[in-house]
Amino acid sequence: MKPFTVLTAVAAPLDVAKIDTGMIMPGRFNRKYRRPGHPDYAEGFLHDLRFDSSDKPRTDFVLNRPAYQGAEILVTAADFGCGSSRETAAYAVLDYGLRALIGVSFGDIFVGNCLQNGILVVAQPQAVIDTLWKQLGERPGATITIDLEKQSLVAPNGERHTFDIDPTRKQRLLLGLDDIGVTMQYAAELEAFENRHRREMTWLAPII
Amino acid sequence: MSAPATMFQKIWDRHVVVKAPEGEELMFVDRSLVIEGAAFLGFDILRNSGRRVRKPLQNLAITDHYLPTLNRAAGLAGIANPDIRRVIELHEMNARDFGLEHIDMHHPLQGISHVIAAELGLAQPGLLLTCNDSHTATSGAMGCIAMPVGGGNQLSHVLATQTVWQKRPKAMRIVIDGAIGRGVVSKDVILAVMAKVGIGGGAGHAFEYAGSAIRAMSMEARLTVCNMSVEAGAKIGMIAPDDTTYQYLNGRRYAPQGAEWDKALTFWRTLPSDEDACFDREVHLNVGDLAPMVSWGTSPEDSAPITARVPDPATYATPEQRSRVTRALEYMRLTPGTPLTDIAVDRAFIGSCTNSRMEDLRAAAAVLKGRRVVVPAMISPGSTSIKHQAEAEGLDRIFIDAGFEWRDSSCSMCNGSNGDIVAPGERSASTTNRNFEGRQGPGALTHMMSPPMVAAAAVTGRLTDVRTL
Ligand code: SF4
Repeated sequence: MKPFTVLTAVAAPLDVAKIDTGMIMPGRFNRKYRRPGHPDYAEGFLHDLRFDSSDKPRTDFVLNRPAYQGAEILVTAADFGCGSSRETAAYAVLDYGLRALIGVSFGDIFVGNCLQNGILVVAQPQAVIDTLWKQLGERPGATITIDLEKQSLVAPNGERHTFDIDPTRKQRLLLGLDDIGVTMQYAAELEAFENRHRREMTWLAPII
Repeated sequence: MSAPATMFQKIWDRHVVVKAPEGEELMFVDRSLVIEGAAFLGFDILRNSGRRVRKPLQNLAITDHYLPTLNRAAGLAGIANPDIRRVIELHEMNARDFGLEHIDMHHPLQGISHVIAAELGLAQPGLLLTCNDSHTATSGAMGCIAMPVGGGNQLSHVLATQTVWQKRPKAMRIVIDGAIGRGVVSKDVILAVMAKVGIGGGAGHAFEYAGSAIRAMSMEARLTVCNMSVEAGAKIGMIAPDDTTYQYLNGRRYAPQGAEWDKALTFWRTLPSDEDACFDREVHLNVGDLAPMVSWGTSPEDSAPITARVPDPATYATPEQRSRVTRALEYMRLTPGTPLTDIAVDRAFIGSCTNSRMEDLRAAAAVLKGRRVVVPAMISPGSTSIKHQAEAEGLDRIFIDAGFEWRDSSCSMCNGSNGDIVAPGERSASTTNRNFEGRQGPGALTHMMSPPMVAAAAVTGRLTDVRTL
């Protein structure tokens, strides 16, 4: 996982509420194989918003406008990533090239999946999102800077906003740490736990 | 005496391996079900880092989403779509490479993971269970914590460590009282809960469903209720175990036996929430005069009694709601004010982890007996065992005589993974749990309802109050 420290990047405004994970990564793309390390899921990302039914890019869709090419930040509306728990949605975000999402609210499971994949998810009040949308709309191609250590973001007009993030998650994102490695530092605790658990719930052993 | 605790707290606390003062806790996973879907992402992570499955016996591979419902005997060769075949093949390979038992397409116990978890007694009171699928909460009806994990990183973590990092959710109790009337079933109850709590209403919470209506429900009915917790934003939904639970569990494949059963039972009886336990939130609902429910929009909260009309977006409180409902009605091709019973349907589907168990099949068959459907209709039982049981009871004859297609068990038309889809612009009466745009296929229009209501819609060709048939 790539560490996340400070990011200054083009941000695109996406003012559509309740974009669920099925829209972020439509089911029919889920069944495609993603070769380890290849951005194979970029194609599926918001596919039906980006393309029409004959697979032609919708020129009026924000991400298809030239100024937002290469955007690494998306500023989203309420309930982004609600719905199905498919982790492929987070991979699609990653493969498309995004490193951070800033929005009003997000689906729980989706946030977990994004953070696991090194994508920072930042919640902000609707009023802040409104001003970001406005600035990004007026100055297409403008950048936002996000500093994870300081838990702050700087809008195109220079305004600074702070955000909350779970301290454990923050640490792992900053260091780009793999969760399994972190957990295995607790191998002794885990072993002790298992022994006690098995003694207490003997009816579970040894089969699943 | 320890402080009064909720059932959720009691089970959660028992599974904390490492306590973090704030942030996430490391939770022990008693049993993990690994379905095909995106699991190859998780297995590839293990493979690339040279890791193995730490406790293969506590993990079970299941194939359900991508299985064909026709011509199962032909095996992989019978699947034309190469992407679908590949997902199934990858899962077979991964289960084999990593030493997991696999309930595969030809296995006699094959079924939808959330159906067979209870059916096989894998889900038991007091356990923590995970599955890489959003409807894992279904099994919480057995009195356990059952929660979804992501198919890539989180799944690889469960496989490699038998644990999962989780932030402790808040506890929310949904108290449902009243005796439901004739023609009304647990699906109607949960659709009513959805309409009340809203799609994001449960975010960050673990639900406990309680109240006289829940206590009166059978185990299968309770599974339907917990199934839809995620539609209100909650990853976890549970129901306290009681005699209904124990009777259901006793004798199932993975249930404890003899002295172990007695020991387990003593423990299980300590699990229900203490009387003065404190919940972070409570919602109350009386279902005494509930009518059968149907969904009209593109979000699970968009449900109404069948006796109602398509709502007018103008009656919604906020501009966001008004624009969302306007868009939903546009997609659903509905006009505000139309009586729901005037909406004609093009097809009917009975199946999914919400409503594909014996009681669901019996309730639908009771409506279909001696009647004929007027639209294409199909049924996919929740497991191969259910299919056989239904055949032993002669239900298959009733469905076939009524004009239903009697298919094999799979997720099927619930989300169309296997290619069973509702055509663009087609309107389907479905027993499923999601009505998002395109859920049953691109451009598909889904109306969610109970199995008897789907049966009623299939024979009249429009949304119908089953009580009037
Ligand atoms: S039946 Fe539907 S909701 Fe249930 S697991 Fe399968 S696809 Fe998901």
